[in-house]
Amino acid sequence: MKKITSVILAGALLGTVMAGCSNSGDKSSGASGGSADSGKEPSIGVAIYKFDDTFMTGVRNAIKTNAEGKAKVDIVDSQNSQPTQNDKVDLFITKKTDALLINPVDRTAAGVIIDKAKTASIPVVFLNREPLPEDMKKWDKVYYVGAKAEESGTMSGELIADYWKAHPEADKNKDGVLQYVMLKGEPGHQDAELRTKYSIQAIEDAGIKVEKLAEDTAMWDRVKGQEKMAAFLGSHGDKIEAVLANNDDMALGAIEALKAAGYFTGGKTMPVVGVDATAPALQALQDGTLLGTVLNDANNQGKASVTLATLLAKGETPTKENVGFDITDNQYVWIPYKKITKDNIDDAK
Amino acid sequence: MLNTNKINTGRRFQGFASQYAIYIVLVLLIIGITIYNPSFLSVNSLRDILIQSSTRAIIALGVAFILITAGTDLSAGRIVGLTAVISASMLQSSDYAARFFPNLPHLHVLLPIALAILAGLLCGLVNGLVVSKLNVPPFIATLGTMVAVYGLNSLYFDMEPNNSQPIGGLRKDFTAIGTGYIGEGQYSVPYIVLIAIFVAFIVWVIFTKTKLGKYMYAIGGNIQAAKVSGINVAKYLIYIYAIAGALYGLAGVLEASRTGGATNNYGNMYELDAIAACVVGGVSTTGGIGTVPGVMVGVLIFTIINYGLTFIGISPYWQLIIKGLIIVAAVAFDMRKYAAKK
Repeated sequence: MKKITSVILAGALLGTVMAGCSNSGDKSSGASGGSADSGKEPSIGVAIYKFDDTFMTGVRNAIKTNAEGKAKVDIVDSQNSQPTQNDKVDLFITKKTDALLINPVDRTAAGVIIDKAKTASIPVVFLNREPLPEDMKKWDKVYYVGAKAEESGTMSGELIADYWKAHPEADKNKDGVLQYVMLKGEPGHQDAELRTKYSIQAIEDAGIKVEKLAEDTAMWDRVKGQEKMAAFLGSHGDKIEAVLANNDDMALGAIEALKAAGYFTGGKTMPVVGVDATAPALQALQDGTLLGTVLNDANNQGKASVTLATLLAKGETPTKENVGFDITDNQYVWIPYKKITKDNIDDAK
Repeated sequence: MLNTNKINTGRRFQGFASQYAIYIVLVLLIIGITIYNPSFLSVNSLRDILIQSSTRAIIALGVAFILITAGTDLSAGRIVGLTAVISASMLQSSDYAARFFPNLPHLHVLLPIALAILAGLLCGLVNGLVVSKLNVPPFIATLGTMVAVYGLNSLYFDMEPNNSQPIGGLRKDFTAIGTGYIGEGQYSVPYIVLIAIFVAFIVWVIFTKTKLGKYMYAIGGNIQAAKVSGINVAKYLIYIYAIAGALYGLAGVLEASRTGGATNNYGNMYELDAIAACVVGGVSTTGGIGTVPGVMVGVLIFTIINYGLTFIGISPYWQLIIKGLIIVAAVAFDMRKYAAKK
């Protein structure tokens, strides 16, 4: 039994090594030839922080689509663990890929990845989680593609503020103060903290007084969003005048709890906002249960990052013209968010 | 004779304290939350708690089968996720824009549900076969299933044209199972609660009135003795794991129906909640001990913690600390009970 296992193991190892060799062979010919022949496309090692993240799946699909015919992408799952991601990066470096496209698990870990890449002189594009500025300064072949997280919060707050101003009846108790509940994503997650903070700030900036009735984490999760909202309704009932959720899944969960409590029938309504513009969220917009959501533009994030990585892999200098997006401070490509409501639903499809 | 009687009385008192400790904890919790916010004691809260306990109870009952045989099941949560996705993927309304199977005809609502439960049963069957025929310890066997089932589910979920997008737009006749109720207004009874009570009753019958139940306790109590006394241990273990799998399948279906959607991440870590609920409900981790009412109370305790602490606005970090303390305290009690028996 032991013998068989070791033979299989040895075989597997040999296979990996040979695959690595053939891969690097591809690469060197691609770099020297530089032609558009499919066998000689530059190779890009892509590490996504977690495969079951809805938004990053959208980005991942956009990377795949936009790479077709231009680059050979090898996409791996970091399983929400930074050590795992570092192992995958080491593997890419050993395989001598032409460029790295990394969606870090932990933004502070980017420094280590940059050091590794610089030593092997493989350019890196970071995606969706912004490395610290001092890490970005370590090397000029490091780029970042992402959205300004606070913008998504600001926009979801603005959706609520606009609704409040257009619908005086939304102030149920007529005290001139907006009583809201907040469903937060994973505690400590940068997006969760920023969206929570900036959404409320946007409402206040619009000149509206707010009062927080409840705030709890639902871990980005629809089931938990529903359960937390049921508890909020239990303790605050009709005092709640608006529901803000850090993402659509939680907003949709909250809507289910609201439906169970008799909302969205017979004129009883509640403004609920989310972020992400997922397919089920668009359906809810159409149904009139979700007030609005904010589109984090997965398509353009995927497109910009893989285009950038391809150019770097070929040793070209990225410019606004060949990337198709503005480059700020020579290293940053910012992809703007979009507000989505029932009126402009097609922008998100 | 007199002496043994005395000892028995002493033991009986100790037995009473540990036997009813979980009920005492439950009452204390409710009193504490109510003092903090008296509006907690209402029919609506009770309804919410029962609804939120329903799927958890079904999963915990499945896990209880396995814990009582001195096994464990880490794959429960991922099987819930798989079956949630399977049922949701085939029960989207025809006018929904992003359908999982764009050209799927209108199926009878029970067909995808049956398929999902069957998928759960098959996963359980694999667990049972690996444990009983290959002699892999349950912890490892179900760990393997947990990882592989998640992979399988993700593969399915990532199929064209869905590409790992959350599944939504579920049919009304499907979501009605998880959100509908009998009766009117405040005193209406949700279907999902009735389903959970029905399942609990069936499991109670299996535990207490059938050969399978008797053998389950015997296997968990002492597997060697069970073998020697002529029980076909392998056969009954396979049955037990398969039943547990089917229960997870049902729970996954209800979870999708209740929330009106599904992703491959549904059910993540539910097995730990279920094991914790069982343990708090007096199911012994060393096997052979456990009752259906105990498991139900264990589940209720955790839902009341989840719901009640959110109700009164306690920080989520404190909620975790309180949960952790209750789990450890419950097992400490359990060990005392076990020691007292010896």
